[in-house]
Amino acid sequence: MLRERLGKELLYFDGGMGTLLQENGLAPGELPETWNVEHPEVIREIHRRYIEAGSDIILTNTFGANALKFHDESCSLKEIVESAVGHVKAAVREAGAGRQIYTALDVGPTGKLLKPMGDLDFETAYEAFREVMVMGEQAGADLIHIETMSDTYELKAAVLAAKENTSLPVFATAIFDERRKLLTGADVPSVAALLECLRVDALGINCGMGPEQMLPVLDEMLRYSSLPVIVKPNAGLPQQRDGRTCYDVVPEEFARLMKQITEMGASVIGGCCGTTPEHIHAMKELCRGLDPLPVVEKEYTVVSSYGKSVFLGNGAEDSFGSKIIGERINPTGKKRFKQALKEHDLDYILREAITQQDSGAHILDVNVGLPDVDEPALMEEIVQELQSVVNLPLQIDTVDTEAMERALRIYNGKAMVNSVSGKQESMDSVFPLIRKYGGVVIGLTLDEEGIPADADGRIRIAEKIINEAGKYGIRKKDIVIDALAMTISSEPEGAKVTLETLRRLRDEVKVNTVLGVSNISFGLPSRPVINSAFYTMAMMNGLSAGIINPSSEDMMKAWYAYHALMDLDSNCERYISRYSAVSAGTAGTPALGPGTNTPEMGLSAAIEKGLKDDAHTITLRLTEEKAPLDIINEELIPALNRVGDGFEKGTVFLPQLLMSAEAAKSAFAVLKEKMDKSGEVQEKKGTIVIATVKGDIHDIGKNIVKVLLENYSFDVIDLGKDVPPEKIVDTVLERQVPLVGLSALMTTTVVSMEETIRQLREKAPGCLVMVGGAVLNQEYADMIGADFYGRDAMQSVHYAQKVFENKE
Amino acid sequence: MERRIKEAVRYLGYGRNAADERTLTLIEDAFAELERTAAPKSVCRIFDLDQTEDGRIIIGNMEIRSRSLSRNLKGCTKTVLFGATLGPGVDQLIRRMSLTDMAKAVIHQACAAALLEEYCDEEQLKIGAELEEQELYMRPRFSPGYGDFDIQYQEPLMRMLDCAKTIGLTMTDSCMMTPTKSVTALIGASPIKERCPIAGCEACEKKDCEYRR
Repeated sequence: MLRERLGKELLYFDGGMGTLLQENGLAPGELPETWNVEHPEVIREIHRRYIEAGSDIILTNTFGANALKFHDESCSLKEIVESAVGHVKAAVREAGAGRQIYTALDVGPTGKLLKPMGDLDFETAYEAFREVMVMGEQAGADLIHIETMSDTYELKAAVLAAKENTSLPVFATAIFDERRKLLTGADVPSVAALLECLRVDALGINCGMGPEQMLPVLDEMLRYSSLPVIVKPNAGLPQQRDGRTCYDVVPEEFARLMKQITEMGASVIGGCCGTTPEHIHAMKELCRGLDPLPVVEKEYTVVSSYGKSVFLGNGAEDSFGSKIIGERINPTGKKRFKQALKEHDLDYILREAITQQDSGAHILDVNVGLPDVDEPALMEEIVQELQSVVNLPLQIDTVDTEAMERALRIYNGKAMVNSVSGKQESMDSVFPLIRKYGGVVIGLTLDEEGIPADADGRIRIAEKIINEAGKYGIRKKDIVIDALAMTISSEPEGAKVTLETLRRLRDEVKVNTVLGVSNISFGLPSRPVINSAFYTMAMMNGLSAGIINPSSEDMMKAWYAYHALMDLDSNCERYISRYSAVSAGTAGTPALGPGTNTPEMGLSAAIEKGLKDDAHTITLRLTEEKAPLDIINEELIPALNRVGDGFEKGTVFLPQLLMSAEAAKSAFAVLKEKMDKSGEVQEKKGTIVIATVKGDIHDIGKNIVKVLLENYSFDVIDLGKDVPPEKIVDTVLERQVPLVGLSALMTTTVVSMEETIRQLREKAPGCLVMVGGAVLNQEYADMIGADFYGRDAMQSVHYAQKVFENKE
Repeated sequence: MERRIKEAVRYLGYGRNAADERTLTLIEDAFAELERTAAPKSVCRIFDLDQTEDGRIIIGNMEIRSRSLSRNLKGCTKTVLFGATLGPGVDQLIRRMSLTDMAKAVIHQACAAALLEEYCDEEQLKIGAELEEQELYMRPRFSPGYGDFDIQYQEPLMRMLDCAKTIGLTMTDSCMMTPTKSVTALIGASPIKERCPIAGCEACEKKDCEYRR
């Protein structure tokens, strides 16, 4: 019933609850939900006043009622939710309004930040929401209203919990600021895309601002939303007066602006903080007789991350031209990447992501499939880690549907999915996942019969995929067709067929397209020559997004030139800013920072001065005349020692120490590659586990220690931050590690440092423990039973050297 | 030299030594980048302050026992609860740098801390100006974790400010603030104008701290 009325007639929410409770004596910091039990008459009275003022939808007094936020010994969550729903129902009876009134279970945020920025697990948040939502449905709520969300990740946990565990309609609104962003950085299109792809019934904006300040946010929301839009502003911006929070927009003014908001296209309206039954009454009086504007399906193809939306094809203002999907997070044909996956070297993979973003990628493809790894677990882990360092949308690339589902579930945004094909089996397994979690899916133009040799065949498969997707309610805008590039070394007509397919997909089928561009040159020499020319031709024929290596300068030249030539780069700004520093004759690599490389400078000088780029180039040159191990022993180590000594004497300071460490690292990288090629190995001095203890999220000190230990040839297993004692113990036992380094920042987390040491003593008695961190000193370290306290990072290096010398 | 740069240099452990040119350049770059990334937000609420004979400090529903805070609030009749954050983008930036360049990561870390202090000072000045209209004068801000003011008070303090909703500031189970570049504090307001209130390092009892001004 509600679903049928939604968007067709104007529906009215109620207004603020907290403000009215404060008037009745609610103290700051007191939990408003306890009033359901302690002052039921006040709650019912407020509901009744809103019904009389004209509200169709009444929110239960359960904003903070979830296990993570609500801690009160006098009443249980269940009592709160049941009584809260009961109060609305009772108020409906008392008011006898003669119209349908809906009871909306109000669900606010947990008050905690989700990982990786905070310490709350996605599934823990999900569970907290699930619990109250199930209670709410059982108690008789008519819909679930998720509101005041400032993090898309938490929003997703809440919506999934509602969709998976109840059959109620789901409304969801978020709190934007004057920059038109959520506190965690998401923009309007990414919030709209996320909520739409999770299939909520209505979405919108609440709290944070008054109606006037909300207008620009609403304008943008209406441009991107294909669903009915909810608007619930505060009664203006909060003002402090005599120690109280006040709101200044009076009912008449509020009503006038809400009428304007309705005329712009909102179809469910109400108030948030500071609004009263008088505001709602005035609003309803003024809006009476208005019909909402029809809700129009938007045709944008958009993928999003927690903080960014990326459009494919034509539509939004910034969307013209072709998008770059970085292909480097993929083990195929990459020895070093395979090794990183097998050794669980996540840092390497994360650096690949950062490099691609810095090179200009818009979306990152993520493929971690290898025969001997647990792909679903690894995919889930890497997607989470990537979300903590890059804000680009990700493309989940796997043939393993379990890996696909786990990645889509924990992905913070609307993902790109690679891929589905025209095979019935593929469509049967992939489309249900897209229906449930949303996403833009790549459709490969191949089926049971293989890859059609001509464009006609490929177009037919594209149409089949689009039709089949339609059966799941997945729209054409959420499908991107891969026209497939076949190498011209074995298929002479390969490029021509692909280009014709692209053009016809754009002009006839009117669907977005994608291509793994570099396949075209497989088996040929100097592949970048062919790849970059083909890339230009593909863009010319409508390629919406190319899967390429953004670190390849040839490809990027093609990209920049194409956009400048086709008037897709206003005033050639992007082109100029990238290439103006490059002299015409050598239009090769763009300037990448200062090169202070003087021919006479030696490697040790470069390291002592902390010149990373120079250390790299000098080492490259040195390897032509000297053996890597000699370079390490004669140049690298002495230079590092001199810097380390200076640091301890107080003549060199932390930034300089680390600049030298980074320079040494870049030299080591060159040497390692050289040694790998010749099969030579540098003896590692020993293996050390390092971790920031459970409950602690400040890991910069640990990361400093790591860089230095690695410089001194230790094999460092970095378990990261917030690491449970059990994980540290298990790693020590499994890898037979003789030394552990632990860091903690605050007194509250030294407790878990102590616990970690206790467990290590019990289960791995031979293992030594060194500790460090802001709050520690020798005395404290002795008290918790550590073997060594490192005042600074160099001290841990010395201690580690001592430990492993004694072992030898 | 700008105060914020001096502060960043101090956080980087230079003590009274001058920073080298390259570090100074990196510090300036870091501030520029942080200005682009940070989304500073703050919230405050003013409460009546009640201090009992037996040393309890009562602010609304919150009751605190702390000798160092009592000293700080001596003579005050009101208190401002204050919360501020640079936002989650700064944490992401530092995390990202830790993977690519630790030297830059520690410099950004120090600069972010200096930027946050500067922002808090500016916000506090605004609050101070309003209070002076009521002839009240502010004391230096005092945060949970200072002296014997237990860090556990972070929780009620943030609840009374509704920090999660108003500025996106939350805390972990172990009372660490997320985003990490954030501050919560109590600021006393007194009808007596004290000359040159002691603040920051000078007020701290940890005299052997290497970061002491």
